[in-house]
Amino acid sequence: MIFFINATMQKQKSGIEHAELKRFELFNAHHVDSRFLIRDWDPALHDNTKLAGIPDENLIGMFDYFQQATHVKPKRITIDDLDFGVLNIHADPDLPNNRSLVKTAQGQLVARVNYREDHETVRSVELFDGFNNLYRVDNYDTRGFISLSQMYTPDNKVGTEVWQTPTGHVVLETFNRADAQGKVQKSGWRLTDADGTIRVFDTIEELTAHFFNLMNEKFWSVKQPNIFILDRSHLGDWGLLQLKKPAYTVMHLHNSHAGDAQEPMHSILNNNYEFAMNALDSYDAVVSATHKQTHDVEARFHPIAKLFTIPVGVVSQELLDGPRVPVKDRQYGKVVAFARIAWEKHLDDLVRAVGIVHKEVPEVSLDLYGYADASDNYRARRAVEKAIKEYDLDGVVTMKGYTTEIDKVENQAMMFGLTSRMEGFNLAVLEAISHGLISFSYDVNYGPNEIVEDGVNGNVVPFNDYKAMAAAMLKVLKDPKLAQKYSTGAYDSSERYSPANVWNAWQSLIDDANQIWPTKLAAAHMSAQEGVKQ
Amino acid sequence: MNYSVLENIFTYNSGTEHSAINRTKLFNENGIEAKILTRNYNRFLAHDMQLAGVDHHSVINMYDYFQGTTDVARNELPLRLAKQFPLDEYHIVAENANYSWLKRAGQNIGKIEVLPGTVGLISSVTYYDRFNNPTVRENFDWRGFKSSIDYFHMNGELGTQVFLNLKGDPVLEITHMNINGKLSPTMWKLLNYKGKNYRFNFEDQLFLFFINEVVANDPEAVVVSERRNLDYVVADVKAPQRVAFFHDSHLLNPTDGPKSKIKPIYQQVLVNQTAKFSGAFVLTEQQKQELNQQYPNLNVSVAPDIYVSDDDLKLGQTAERQPVILVSGRLAPDRRPFDVLKIFQQVHMAVPAAELHFAGYPASPTYLDQLKDKVKNDHLEDSVKFLGYLNRKKLNDEYATASVLLNTSLNEGLGMHMVEARGFGLPVVSYDVLYGPKVLIEDGVNGNLVPDGRTHAAAKAITTLLTDSDKWSQMHRSALKKAQADRADNVIAHFEDGVAASR
Repeated sequence: MIFFINATMQKQKSGIEHAELKRFELFNAHHVDSRFLIRDWDPALHDNTKLAGIPDENLIGMFDYFQQATHVKPKRITIDDLDFGVLNIHADPDLPNNRSLVKTAQGQLVARVNYREDHETVRSVELFDGFNNLYRVDNYDTRGFISLSQMYTPDNKVGTEVWQTPTGHVVLETFNRADAQGKVQKSGWRLTDADGTIRVFDTIEELTAHFFNLMNEKFWSVKQPNIFILDRSHLGDWGLLQLKKPAYTVMHLHNSHAGDAQEPMHSILNNNYEFAMNALDSYDAVVSATHKQTHDVEARFHPIAKLFTIPVGVVSQELLDGPRVPVKDRQYGKVVAFARIAWEKHLDDLVRAVGIVHKEVPEVSLDLYGYADASDNYRARRAVEKAIKEYDLDGVVTMKGYTTEIDKVENQAMMFGLTSRMEGFNLAVLEAISHGLISFSYDVNYGPNEIVEDGVNGNVVPFNDYKAMAAAMLKVLKDPKLAQKYSTGAYDSSERYSPANVWNAWQSLIDDANQIWPTKLAAAHMSAQEGVKQ
Repeated sequence: MNYSVLENIFTYNSGTEHSAINRTKLFNENGIEAKILTRNYNRFLAHDMQLAGVDHHSVINMYDYFQGTTDVARNELPLRLAKQFPLDEYHIVAENANYSWLKRAGQNIGKIEVLPGTVGLISSVTYYDRFNNPTVRENFDWRGFKSSIDYFHMNGELGTQVFLNLKGDPVLEITHMNINGKLSPTMWKLLNYKGKNYRFNFEDQLFLFFINEVVANDPEAVVVSERRNLDYVVADVKAPQRVAFFHDSHLLNPTDGPKSKIKPIYQQVLVNQTAKFSGAFVLTEQQKQELNQQYPNLNVSVAPDIYVSDDDLKLGQTAERQPVILVSGRLAPDRRPFDVLKIFQQVHMAVPAAELHFAGYPASPTYLDQLKDKVKNDHLEDSVKFLGYLNRKKLNDEYATASVLLNTSLNEGLGMHMVEARGFGLPVVSYDVLYGPKVLIEDGVNGNLVPDGRTHAAAKAITTLLTDSDKWSQMHRSALKKAQADRADNVIAHFEDGVAASR
């Protein structure tokens, strides 16, 4: 079995989730079975995986697994389904707080029932005893059962938290206790496995390692190894090293391994990958999305672990085979960017580049698609607004917000701009070239400076040099032939990310796993012939 | 069906429990259906019932009832065979006969306690977190199944108790939170009982619910309140008949006679809720008369609270006795054991071979120490034995080998130990206090009644019995003769009259 390890599958996905979903699609197309291993507790997990197109058969949440709730027929729980065990009660709606207050005839509070966005489905219930103490909060899974109960202490803190099966069997507990300094933190976990075995764990990392072992056991086969692909390092960079039986473990880099991506050989490591990079040879393989990163990892660490370059973006065959929009049918001078308006995206530089262009070519305009990042009081948006003012670009630069209409936008625009400080891959620029947009990017690791090929599908300009970017744009705007050449080059260069090409990259990883499997079995005193527990 | 309502069958039972146990046994042996209903959670109940000689079919404990475990056979569970410990990952290291540590890589992660009096049977497992706080305690029933789980608050105090059925499903939980700033149990919540949840603020509300569930649809139900602190519960039971069984004197100061104030705990039946009881049973005619005069609205009947089996009577016929003075009952101030020591000191001077045996548990360890100090000061360590609480068989052996029973208590409803004594042919020397002594002892015939507090007179009577074998034999025979009245068939007839009268 091939596992994709992630924390959850939230509605607002980051690049990692998008990468996993593309991979899932690809694997399905090639009839290779896979499972999402979701580590974090998420009562709305199945709503979100359903939206993301992941069937329950391909999903194993760690908490779900322990709760024997991987496959539950959803049922909606409303206040009428709750049994408080108290006679003569009534519910007063509390609309501003999206909840109801359940009270006795004498007005004593029995419970607060909190609802989901539909104002009807029960999200959680705060329960009070007959002496007005809040003693417990029951949290409901969106599939309609109590998933997590939090027991309160007399001084109104969460003490013990217990997870239960849909039939009310407690299977997992975690404890909040004061440490030697008096600071309350998680002090342990206690798990009752399906066979009744009870284990305790100091941390969720230990619990996760146990879960990995259970998965390795459950899908064990002497014929081929289980392949664990770690998409978020903190979930299992240590845990995957605790496997009792052999497996094929893959550290998937979704970002620069170096803290300063522009200094890949010498800068202090990206904290997310520091442990993995130091324990690199404890994994079987490392996947990078770009050849450049694979090269840099090889150069800096000389690992024994196999290095694979597998793009995290895939351009659909439909798009590759689709009609191409010539540059003359596009809006002259329309630049687009698809990125969160965030510090690391450095979009104020793109505005500056467009500002310079605008002085010579007044037809140029820039549309920014993406949420504004709220951190540091919208610092990034304020920087963009300042640059707009500085270059007098009112009406030229527009912040459009988030859109899902990528095809429509990118089939009309002409150019794509990217001025990030760092990147892990950047699916947006891949989308851009596959739509024939002429791309301009800083020479930034990793992704943009590989997806954009200087002089082929646009230009890669020196890092942080918006003037050079402006000059490159002007050149294209003034030369229709060149523009068409780059646009054609963009369409052509997206072939590198065709389903077949990306699949071939995965296939080579799977081949490697299968090839070394007999050696791994032998090292573990097992062999493919011997009767090992199936 | 008769239902005796008790708190518990304890490891050390008082006369009240013995009375209810005896009566239930007597009824069931004579074709009258009877059961004991107990309230307290007691995971050693099966063992305590066995020690007390109670058939488990005749007891329904509230927790067992809701846990569905009233009728579970014992299945010994050695801690080393408990399936919950993954022994390929953890070590079990025995610290001593009472407990073992569960260790993970050398760290204590759990304490496994052994059922008292067994070799390595699991009693409880307490798990610890990495700061060494107790987090969860699993409690096992004497019969070898996981019965309840305790969760602790951050400061180590008990937080939530969860009671399980045999499948491990939670059926009842007790929450401990604050009442006026003090941690107390604040909620008993019955889960999915016949498909519904029920929340109670007090254990006795649940107890009432339980009794009602048990007696529902029994048109013959007679619910007997054995303990005064449970009268208020029984008063509200929905049953054709509710009665109170008085096991001791209702008077606060019995020495003041019938004019004394009543004990506050008798208020429920005698004053507040008299109408809810179809009657009360007392043990003597005298107590009945007094109650009739003061509380004419209460229907009072006399019924014995103990019977003597034919086996006991047979055992009691032996005339081969040791010079032992037996004192049976709790060692507590109201039974005046220091008077016993004063009396024995005098007897011992006359009869150096005489021994004094105390059979019964002390009110407190301190009280026992005080008694032992006194014995030491009197240089009587070799002659005075503190036997502790004796099970049925051992106690019977004492009755059958001693020469005389001594009673110095402040008052007696009847005096179960004196009834038992005469069943074993044992003469009884007692202070003449309310109510039982003068009913059970015919002075000079099967024992002696001496004025209250007169140690010298008591010592003299005992000395005579230990030295005058003719006198002893005569009283021994009289005791056995009087004990005929305590035989099962006589007692049951008596009791039925009482029930009939209270209808």
